[in-house]
Amino acid sequence: MTWKNLYCCLAFLLYSFSWGQNDSIIRLNEVIVSDSQLKNFSKSQTVTILNDSILNKNQGSLTSLLSTNSTIYFKENGAGMVSSASFRGTTAQQTAVIWNGININSQLNGQTDFNTINPTDFTNISIRPGGGSVIYGSGAIGGSIHLNSELKFNTATSHLFRLNYGSFETYGSNYQLEIGKEKWAVQASISANSSKNDYEYIGYDKKNENGEFTNQSYNFSVGHKINDTNFIKFYSFLFNGERHFSGTITVNSDDKYLDFNTRNMLEWILFKNKYTSKVKAAYITEEYKYYENRNSDNHTFGQVNSLFLRHDFIYSISESITINTLLDFTQSDAKGSDLLTETRTIGTGSILWKHKLSTKLNYELGIRQEVTDTYESPLLFSAGTLFEVNGFYKIKANLSKNFRIPTFNDLYWQGSGNTDLNPEHSLQGEIGNELNYKNSKFVLTGFIIQLKDMIRWIPTSNGLWQPENTQSVSNYGLEIQFETKKSIDKHLFSFTSGYGYTVSVNNQTEKQLTYVPNHKANTNLAYNYKSFTTYYQWVYTGEVFTSSDNFYKLDDYALSNIGIDYNFSKKKTYLLGFQVLNLTNERYQNVISRPMPGRNFKLYLTLNL
Amino acid sequence: MNLKKIGILLTLSGLFLTACTNDDDVSIPLGAYDNGVLILNQGNFGGGNSSISFWSNDFSTFEFNAFSSVNPSVTLGDTAQDLGFYGDKAYIVVNLSNTIQVVNRYTLEHLTTISTGLSNPRYIAFANGNAYVTNWGDASNAEDDYVAVINLTSNSVTSFIPVTEGPERILEHDDKLFIAHMGGYGFGNSISVIQANNNSVSSIEVGDVPNSMALVNNDLYVLCGGKPSWAEPETSGSLVKINLSTNTVTAALPFLLGNHPSNLIFHDNKFYYTVDSNVFSKTIEANTIPSTPIFSTTAQGVYGVYSFAIANNKIFVGDATDYNSNGKVYIYSLTGTLENQETVGVIPGGFYFN
Repeated sequence: MTWKNLYCCLAFLLYSFSWGQNDSIIRLNEVIVSDSQLKNFSKSQTVTILNDSILNKNQGSLTSLLSTNSTIYFKENGAGMVSSASFRGTTAQQTAVIWNGININSQLNGQTDFNTINPTDFTNISIRPGGGSVIYGSGAIGGSIHLNSELKFNTATSHLFRLNYGSFETYGSNYQLEIGKEKWAVQASISANSSKNDYEYIGYDKKNENGEFTNQSYNFSVGHKINDTNFIKFYSFLFNGERHFSGTITVNSDDKYLDFNTRNMLEWILFKNKYTSKVKAAYITEEYKYYENRNSDNHTFGQVNSLFLRHDFIYSISESITINTLLDFTQSDAKGSDLLTETRTIGTGSILWKHKLSTKLNYELGIRQEVTDTYESPLLFSAGTLFEVNGFYKIKANLSKNFRIPTFNDLYWQGSGNTDLNPEHSLQGEIGNELNYKNSKFVLTGFIIQLKDMIRWIPTSNGLWQPENTQSVSNYGLEIQFETKKSIDKHLFSFTSGYGYTVSVNNQTEKQLTYVPNHKANTNLAYNYKSFTTYYQWVYTGEVFTSSDNFYKLDDYALSNIGIDYNFSKKKTYLLGFQVLNLTNERYQNVISRPMPGRNFKLYLTLNL
Repeated sequence: MNLKKIGILLTLSGLFLTACTNDDDVSIPLGAYDNGVLILNQGNFGGGNSSISFWSNDFSTFEFNAFSSVNPSVTLGDTAQDLGFYGDKAYIVVNLSNTIQVVNRYTLEHLTTISTGLSNPRYIAFANGNAYVTNWGDASNAEDDYVAVINLTSNSVTSFIPVTEGPERILEHDDKLFIAHMGGYGFGNSISVIQANNNSVSSIEVGDVPNSMALVNNDLYVLCGGKPSWAEPETSGSLVKINLSTNTVTAALPFLLGNHPSNLIFHDNKFYYTVDSNVFSKTIEANTIPSTPIFSTTAQGVYGVYSFAIANNKIFVGDATDYNSNGKVYIYSLTGTLENQETVGVIPGGFYFN
């Protein structure tokens, strides 16, 4: 079924290939994104965009891409296995993943498994730290990750092939197509990855058995300008993955886990002088199957199909004031082997306001209210400002109330689900300072998050586990980002670095939350001379507690990667590269009892035709 | 060891009689971990950090991680479920690791590991020079459950006895093995009886979810928890009496609906058991289930009694706290006065008295 889909898609891509060859006229570039709020209503926060050149150097999972290039901490159940993010010390459910403007966190467990997304399927990936629930809904507390497919009109057709091969029989392939005509634009991608993933547990005389995985995905976007005022777009994204869940130091595993996720969205845009109206309809499906014994047909499963409707209305009151209303309707139908069959309907209204008071001072306001019969939803708000003090110094400040709604598992898990749950909610603020000087940028951000009614699964006196709105948590910390570029003749140097200091404390016990490091840092250094590039990546992860009494912990670790690549073409990209990952053969565990790979190698080829 | 202790050992998880009967006169400790209790801590599921804490009978000596200090190079395993004494050895059933670690019961020195023939092993008992270990197989498969018979000379599994779903606690008496079928992922309602001489199996129907057993003279008492509130329909717990001459149920005393008892122990002519965080006792003669507990553990913040034992006229309560942090062990008098407490490893799952 899945392969059939992929072949259909591939056939279409090849057809487009021949069609694209005739493209001779290059007109002005025009880039269309679906997630317009990321650009227009995020000025009081610091959005980082990871572009093509970063994707080229990080051809692994979304986990390794973000871990190497941000201060987000990932908890990965062994390389390639289930991976969840902790952003500013929050939990996995408090990071929202946004696909072309809509929230795709699982309705079942409220989080995204970052090893079920192939980053090369997208034209760019953006990181938006801080509160965003007013725009992006549930889970945008620590921050949000945005997977964007840009549609470019009036541009040359391009074909991008990426192939890589690495240790532990790891293969990766990706093909990306971009077509930009006057009336039509296409951005499409297809990826396939697999790995035997049987790396050695350094110091244990044991291999990572049962860790193999394979996945295929495609992302397809098309836009059509009907006329000057009407514009239609369609986005489609499919991921199909099969993983054997690896064992631990002491336990062998026979588990197998299948993911099958689809997201389809149709969007109609009407442009008028003063306003833009967008109507979006999306259908999102997620399904997992868990096999305790991969040789048996016995399995458990969960499945949710969601219909999402949005009306997004942007009105320019004046040159300096823009108002944006969002009306959302979501209906989700869930079923599963351990889940009561339930339907949840949520209606949402948001109003966003943006005002440019002067050339130096902007502010943004937003409120959002959800209506549902499942739980009591709080009124959310956000207020932010951007003050450009002078040409090289900006101050940003943002205050917001955000939430994370109870998931289907929380509400309807057989025997444990608690239908009395309410959303967890946070009051949070941040202040950012941004300095720009020539080719250098320095950002220092301080944040504080007060989270209440956190949903936690706890044992009850009768031995059952049940989720309850029980905890309050205080997070605070600092983030530093620094980047600079320097060129001497044809020698280009670039340096980016980030550091996050995070405290995340349970207010009742005054203990740090488990799997939240106090320190995380990353550094990327690259040197380019003509067609030759070499780079060094360094990621430090501080020690984490693995038990809530802070008695057990995992040691800190620092990982280094080096890479070198050479472009064989002067005009196009014929890039051949080689990487050594975990250069120092650091012995480390990211999750207790699950050693991670030692030194390993990757060869990659990128062709842009 | 006295007979009272032996009764407790039996009720806990089917420990073997003859191993202990010769110890009455021994006054010299046979190792650092004689004359005290081994507290088996399951550890985090998937965390590979099972451990054994030791507490001496006079509570003067406590060791948090006794197994590791004796065997620094051996990992006990993941989710240690049960421990059985046989002769001078202790057999530790490690559920997720699918192993049995064999150690000297008094010194905890690691001797060998049995690592084949086990699939989701749960509890252990001994008969005829063999160990009998209940196994769930795949928890999601109701058809592959079995009792593994292990030859204790070769330490290898010699036969697999298929049984119905979810075999849990196992107890030996008179060369027969009695296995309570809690039901694994489902809900069981039977006791399997295995004849040790020929491994033949018969079945006795009891109440829903039999979770613990106690032997009194020639009767086997089975405490059935009943189906939980979410099972639709919820069912009552019951205390079922089986005559072991005829293997028939001769009495069944129901609990009130909504009460789900567990942890049955017979001590000094009385039954002790727990419901949620409360500890109850009942005389053997009483024809009704008592309505008021002897005491409650809620003052100690215990989330339900995770493990429970009685020895030397003290009640031992193991608290798994949040199932992620170190656990607690509380020692009470038989009337419920808190006398002692200690922090032990993660999820204290059982007490085994040396």
